[in-house]
Amino acid sequence: MKYDAVIVGSGPAGSVTARFAAEAGAKVLIVERRAEVGVPVLCGEGISQKVDDFKVLEGKRWIATKMEGARIFSPNGTKITLSAEYAGSETGYVIYRDIFDQELARGAAQKGAEIMLNTRAVNLLKKDGKITGLTVQHFDETLDIEADVVVGADGVESRVGKWAGIQTTLKPYDLETCVQYTLTNIDWDSPYCDFFLGKHVAPGGYVWVFPKGKDVANVGIGILASLSVSGKAKQLLDKFIAARPELKKGAPLRVITGADPVAEPIQSVTDNLLLVGDAARQVDPITGGGLMSSIEAGQYAGQTIGRAVEKQRFDSQTLLEYETLWKKAFGKKLHRNYVAKEIMLDMEDKTLDNLADSLKDYKFEEFSTLSIIKALVTKHPSLLVKLTPLMKLARA
Amino acid sequence: MAKPKAFVKKEKCLACGGCISVCPQDAILMISSKAVVDHDQCNSCSICVKTCPIGAISWEGK
Repeated sequence: MKYDAVIVGSGPAGSVTARFAAEAGAKVLIVERRAEVGVPVLCGEGISQKVDDFKVLEGKRWIATKMEGARIFSPNGTKITLSAEYAGSETGYVIYRDIFDQELARGAAQKGAEIMLNTRAVNLLKKDGKITGLTVQHFDETLDIEADVVVGADGVESRVGKWAGIQTTLKPYDLETCVQYTLTNIDWDSPYCDFFLGKHVAPGGYVWVFPKGKDVANVGIGILASLSVSGKAKQLLDKFIAARPELKKGAPLRVITGADPVAEPIQSVTDNLLLVGDAARQVDPITGGGLMSSIEAGQYAGQTIGRAVEKQRFDSQTLLEYETLWKKAFGKKLHRNYVAKEIMLDMEDKTLDNLADSLKDYKFEEFSTLSIIKALVTKHPSLLVKLTPLMKLARA
Repeated sequence: MAKPKAFVKKEKCLACGGCISVCPQDAILMISSKAVVDHDQCNSCSICVKTCPIGAISWEGK
C-alpha cells in the first residue's frame, strides 16, 4: 500500500486535513484506532459559529442548539454576560460531536480519502532515518503503509510526534483533566452556555453547563492536572451538581472523561511529517476550545500536502508552509491566551470577583475571550502591563 | 523494596488519554480503549495517578 499521506486519527483535525489534501489531488488514507468515527465523544461540544465559514459540514444534523450567548459566574456568583444581542448574530453552537465528526469524515471520503477503522498506529516506518510511512495494527494484522507524509492528528496523547523526535509530553500545569455528564430531566431552561469559576469550584479551570436541548445539558468540569489529586475532577463535579436542585434531579445519558492541552503551541512540522489539532496543541489555553483551530489548521495542512505532492517535495522546508499559515492565523492568539491563563491562575477568588463586578454591566460587542481581555484592560489598564513581566520572570 | 508502579483499573478507565499525555516516561499505551501502564517503564512519579479525573489509576498491589 502506498499513499501520498497517511493520517493518524479521524477527529476534526484528521478528517479536515484529509479532505483538503484529497481535494488537491493527493491519495490519502485515514487510520483510526476506534471502531467508530467520533465515538466515544471526548468533548464539551461547544463551537463558534465561525465553523460555518469553512463549509466543511453539510446540513444541520450535527447541531444540538444555537447558543444565545455565554455567562461567566465568578466565585461569589457575579455574572458577566456575552449576549448575541450585542455580539451581532455570531455566537456559537452546542453540537453532537459524534455526528459532527462523522460528517467531517464523510466530507473527506467524498473527496476521495480512504478510512481504515480498528487500526492502531504502532510506529513510523523509516528507511535510512527518513520517514517512509507507518506501521499499523489492523484488527489482528500488522501492516506497513508507505506514505510520503505522515500526519499526526492523534489527539492530546499524540505518539506520532514523539516517534519523530518532537517533544509532546505535557507538563501537568499545561493539561486540563475533565469529566462531563450529559444530564437529562433537568430544569435548566437557558439558551446560554454557562461557565463557573473559582478555586473551590474548579481549581485552574471551570465548570460548564452547555444546553443541548429543552431538558438536556452537558455539565462538565476541567481542572488543571497540577492542582489535581486522584479522582478530584469527578468529586468536584458531583459536588457542583449536588448543590443545585435543578441539576441534581437529572439523570445521566452519558459520562465521559477528557484531557485538554492548555499549552504553548509546539513544533508541528518535520521532514515527511505534520502534527495537527490537539496533537499540535492547537487549543485556546483559556477556554480549552480546539475545534475551530483544528479545522482551520486541517485546511492549511491539507492544502500544504496538496502542493507538496505537486512538487514531489516532502522535506520540512516544504511542509513549513503549513506551520507558517496556522501560526499567522491564530498562533498569536494562542500565545496571548496562554499568558492570560497564567495571569488568571495567579488570581485569588476575591480578585476574580472584583474583576467580574467591574464587567457585570458591560456590553460585549464580540463573542470571544479577546473581547473580555480587551474590556478588562480598558477597565484595569494596569492589569496586563503589571502582570505580564512578572509572569515572564517567574518562568525564567 | 522497589517502589510500587502505577496501575490502571480497566473497569474504571474511560480512555481520555490524559495520563498518556503527561507521562514523562512514555510508559502508558492505549490498548483496546483502555490505558495500560508498562510496568518496566514506570518510574512511580505519580503524575498519572493525580491526573486521572475519575481515580482509575492507583498502585500495583493496592
